[in-house]
Order: sequence, then structure tokens, then C-alpha cells
Amino acid sequence: MSGPWKDLKVRYQDDLRLFGSPTLRLGLVALVLAYLFIPVWWETFPVTRLIEGWGLTMTTLNYVGIFAIGALGLNLLTGYTGQVSLGHSVFVGVGAYFAAYAGATWDLPFWLWLPGATLLGFAVGVLIGPFALRLRGNYLVVVTLGLVFVGDHVFRNWRSVTGGNAGVSVSKAPLEVGPIDFRDLTLFGHGFEKEQGFFWLIWGFVAITALLVKNIVRTRPGRALQAVRDRDIAAEIIGIDLFRYKTMAFAISSAIAAMAGGLYGTLQAYVSPIDFGLGIAIQYIAIIILGGLGTVHGSIIGALFVGALPRVIDGLAKDFDIPAVGGDKGGSGGILSVSSLNQIIFGLLIAGFLLLEPRGIAGIWARVKAYFKAWPFSY
Amino acid sequence: MNQLLQGLFDGVALGAQYSVIVVGFVVIYRATGIINFAQGGFVLIGAYVTYNISQTWGWNFYLALLMSMLVTAAISIVMQRILLQWVLREVVGMALWLVLWALLYFNGWGHAPAVAVSLLVGLVGFGVTRRIEQHRGSGQARELPIFGSIMVTIGLLYVIKQVVPSIWGFAELNMGDPWGLNVTRVGGLVLSHAKLWTIGLTVTALVAFFAVNRYTKIGVAMRATHFDHEAAVAQGISLKVVFAVAFGIAGAVAALAGTTAGAGIAQLTTNLDLIVFLAFPAMILGGFDSPGGAVLGGIIIGVVQNLTKVYQPEWDLNWLGVGFDRVTVYIVMLIVLMIRPYGLFGTREVHRV
Repeated sequence: MSGPWKDLKVRYQDDLRLFGSPTLRLGLVALVLAYLFIPVWWETFPVTRLIEGWGLTMTTLNYVGIFAIGALGLNLLTGYTGQVSLGHSVFVGVGAYFAAYAGATWDLPFWLWLPGATLLGFAVGVLIGPFALRLRGNYLVVVTLGLVFVGDHVFRNWRSVTGGNAGVSVSKAPLEVGPIDFRDLTLFGHGFEKEQGFFWLIWGFVAITALLVKNIVRTRPGRALQAVRDRDIAAEIIGIDLFRYKTMAFAISSAIAAMAGGLYGTLQAYVSPIDFGLGIAIQYIAIIILGGLGTVHGSIIGALFVGALPRVIDGLAKDFDIPAVGGDKGGSGGILSVSSLNQIIFGLLIAGFLLLEPRGIAGIWARVKAYFKAWPFSY
Repeated sequence: MNQLLQGLFDGVALGAQYSVIVVGFVVIYRATGIINFAQGGFVLIGAYVTYNISQTWGWNFYLALLMSMLVTAAISIVMQRILLQWVLREVVGMALWLVLWALLYFNGWGHAPAVAVSLLVGLVGFGVTRRIEQHRGSGQARELPIFGSIMVTIGLLYVIKQVVPSIWGFAELNMGDPWGLNVTRVGGLVLSHAKLWTIGLTVTALVAFFAVNRYTKIGVAMRATHFDHEAAVAQGISLKVVFAVAFGIAGAVAALAGTTAGAGIAQLTTNLDLIVFLAFPAMILGGFDSPGGAVLGGIIIGVVQNLTKVYQPEWDLNWLGVGFDRVTVYIVMLIVLMIRPYGLFGTREVHRV
């Protein structure tokens, strides 16, 4: 029988292990199986068919994956390093436009343009980082807000690259790795849809990014970042180079965002400035707040929540008659449209979570886990 | 020369709107340490309430403006108590009222009975929660981290931005101001009446604010609160009152800014709140906690923005794109911040180790 004492960590190596307990190892196997078989079974398996009926399609899951990647980057910066950024969407945009340009004009292969986009994001982050070093708290929030407006202006006016207000097509960016083309996937003589190929591609990158971020935060650099978050002066006194770590946090965060942007572009096949405005930046912050600041799994759960919720509400609004809500296409006399209802729920969720559960869904999860860990004792 | 003067005049009129919004930010920041992103929402509410009173009800415009300032101040205070101080009894009462009203109204009840019944139940909920709180001795307001409060106000902004069009629609509306397109010409300069009135009303509001801040008891309380919360409480100052007054002032000036921004040539649209995002640089420029700096920062930003608009075509800078004036504002802010990280007149933060 395993008891509570079995879970106590007594060695540093135990603390470092990613999947230290049998439960977690079982969870890993389940996740890998889900990753492999969700695209195959999504439309035939009864449970997932029911979920799809609510509006949660493969495409939605793919967007959720991209949100998760971007949110992982932002969580590294905001959740672990404590630097609030309202400008995350700009870095996502940089990656997406690079994918469009590199794919269409330079005709780079997948294994070159995606790292290229990531590197470009890294470079932009290095440029922005020093500003963050000089500013703190509220000042940083407003400066990163300025970044959104400057970025938006550049996206709208650098027409030769970004296509201006109309936007630009990203469908020319190749997605072939060796013989495998994720747009038109054929495995073992079986052809797959575009959504299925994208699922394997994007969620593979979610796993890689999550592992990367987890590895950063559980080792020396990560502890340095958390020390900066908790008290930057104290961190400097114990020998942490603030310049280096803050700049690195910005650079890695924006590199991850740019990678998410490249994938976002190819998934949507078309990007325009409205995809990278203030609303999207706030959405990323909402993801990490709802999911849980300073947690890796929280970023992914939050992305699932924020990405899926609008679709589910859309789906429910079709089936049920929610009072006061009319359909988007002129339904029966409501005072709100479904999209306004979505926005309102979104706003209330951000406010509500911060007031009631500041640690997010990951916090709820941690509390449930702690309860069962000590069961039957209450503490 | 004329062009420059004209640009300066228009810039000052624009800057006056920024100034008055920024004073709203600064007042709240000084009292509570929060940047209130929802200010944009209150600009929107204020403008539409003025429209409703003057156009739909046909009241005198100036009276409507005054009423709108009062109404918006009241909404701002209630929102602050519910969302930022998290006074449970008000949250419960409000939620009961709204939910019950929606349920009754959309199940075929008439307007008046639905409002009456739901209001009654809401009040009962308010009272019961209050009794429970008193019984358990936990009527304390919650403390939020600074970043958390910013996000709460952003959430509020999202809600307001959807609620306003659901009441008044998306169409462009005429504010019903008496200024319209009238202009006065002074030696080659075209002074639009709307802009003259904007400057005049703003100056009046600012003078009133500074007088209150300087000479009245509540002004002293507000300054003391900014200086040190605990010391202020120890002197018998009620933080609740100070917070409420700060949010009330911010709501009132937001209504003024919204009304002047939607008057004249400009029409009343649901994008009116975007003006707030240009007021942020003005706030940074002046320093977060300096009302005087707010006014100066607002004027500087307004003038810079307007002169960019005037001179961009002239100096062959059109390749910088349409709307570059909105970017220059942020560039000016960045330059100032790199030289003075706490703005022109902001208090330098002292970090104790």
C-alpha cells in the first residue's frame, strides 16, 4: 500500500524528475495515446463525437494548441519572471509574417522557416528586453501596451511584407519534413485530412515547448528567474545578473511566441493585423491567469479553456434558447449577440478568477491533489 | 506660421481631452495604486448617457452633461466597490438583482414588475449577506496584487464595451451638442466652437479638481492616503470614502472627456474608448502620481500628435503610413521614459532592501 509518505521528496533528484510517481507515468502514457489517436478517432468515438457536437472540432483543438504554445512563452515571462507584458501578440505576429514572407518569397523549407521565425522572435525580444530592465510594474505594462500599437502600425503599413490592412496569405509556407507533408498527410497508405495532420504537428510542438519551459524553470536559470520575480533586488544581491536573466526571459518568451505565430499563420492560411491586436494580447494574459500563473500545465489547461469556451457557447446558443441572447444572424429579439455574450463571459471570467481563485485552474487542481494526498487526514 | 498655430490650437484641444482623462487615472492611482483600464468604458458610458439625456429625453445639453457626469461617477463608484474592493454583500445583491431581472423580463414579465421584484430580492440578498458577514466578522475587503487589479479592470472594460452597444446600438449618433460645425475665424485661424468649449470645460473641471485637492478636507484626505495608507487610517481617514471619491472623480471626468470627444464634427461611436489608449502615454509622460504632470503630459501628447498629423505630408513622410501620429505619441513616451523612468513629475520609487 502506498501512503502519503511515499510522495515525500527527500532527494534533489526526486524533485527534478518529471514523471516521478506511478500516477504521473500512467498520465504520460495516457497523454501519448491521446496525442496519437485523437485525430484518428475524434469523429467516430462516441464521447468525442458528443464533444464535437458542442462545437469543439479538430480545428478548435489545433488553435488551442497554438494558444498553448504562445501562453507557455508568456508564462515564462509573466508567471515565472514576473514581467507583465501586454505586447505578446506582436511577437506572435512577427512569427506569422515571417512565415508568410519566407514561404512565399524565399521559398524556404519547413525546417528552415520555423527556426527562422523563432530566431527573429528571439532577436526582437533581445531588443525589447533592455527597456524592461529599466522599467518596472505599471510602467512596463504601459510600455508593452505601446508595443502593441507600434506593432499594429508596422503590420498595417509595411505593405510589401505584411500586405497592409488586407493581410497576406501564408498558404505557400511549406510544411514538409522529409517525405511527410502535414498539409496532405499520408501514413501507411492512408490519407488524412488537413486538420488531422495539423493536430499531430501542433501538439507535437506543444509537447516540445512544454518540455523546454519545464526544463528551464526546474533548473538553475529557472530558479534565478523566480528569484527575480519574487524580489529583484534580493536576487541581484545573491548574484543573479538581472540584465542577463530579464533579457533572456524576454527573448525566449518572444521566440516561443514567434514560433506559435508561424504555426498560427499556416493553420489559418491567412493573417492580417486584426489577428495580432490588443485583444489577442489580453487573451494570452487571460489564458495564463485562468490556467495558473507560474505553472506549465496551467498554460495548456488555460488555452483549452479560453480557446474552447467561445466555440462551446456558440454551439450551445444554437441548441438552446439562452434568455436575452439572439443569434448572430438576427435571431429572435435578444439584446445581446452571441459574440457579445462571449466577450462578456470572457471579461467576467478574468475578473472572477482573479478575485476568487488567483492561482487559476492549476490552483484548484493543486488543492484537489493535496486533499487526496493527505486523505483521510484534513491536513 | 498660421499652419503651426492652427496645429497648436487643435493639438491643445485634443490634449485637453487627454489631460482630463489622465487626471482620472492619476486620482485613482494616487488613492489605490491601480491603473484603471476600465476608464475607457466610463468614457463610453458618459458619452452615451449624455446623448441619451440630451437627444432622447430632450434636456438642455449642458444639464445633460452635468447629469451624465453624476451618473457615470455613481456607476464608477459602484463598480469599484464590487470589483476592486470585493464587498461581498454588494456583489451578492447586484448579482441577484441582475439575474432575476433577466429571468423575469425574458419570461414575459413587464418592465416595471420585473425591476421591482428583482430589486427587492437583490436588496434582501444584500441585507442577508451583510448580517452573515457581521455575524462571522468577515466584512473585510480583499487585497489583490497590482497586476491582478489591472486585469480586473480590463475584464470590466470588456463587459462595458459589449453592454453599451447592446443598449444604444452600433450606429453613429449625433451627440446633440449646440456647437455643431460652428467656427470662429481669428485672422486666418479657424477656431471650432466644439474645440473652444472643450478647452473651456476642461479648464473649469481641472481648476475645480485642483481646488478640491488643495483646499478641502477630502482633498487633504486624498493626499494623505497617497502618502501613506496606514498613517492616513490612523488619523481617522476612511479609505472607503477616499476610494469612492477618487473613483467618482475619475468617472465624472471620463464622462466629460467622452462627451467632448463625441461632440462637434466627430460623431458618437462605440470606438470612443480608444482615446484612452492614447491617454496612457500622457499619463506616463507626466508621471503616474502627479496631477499637474497629467495636465502637462496630456497637452504635450495632444500637440505632438496633432503636429505630426499636420506636418507628415509636408515633410514627405507619408511612407510612414496612415495613423503615424498615434505611433509618435508612444515614441515620445519611450524617449522620455528612457531618460526619466518615472516620467517628468512622477515620484521616484524608493526600494528598500
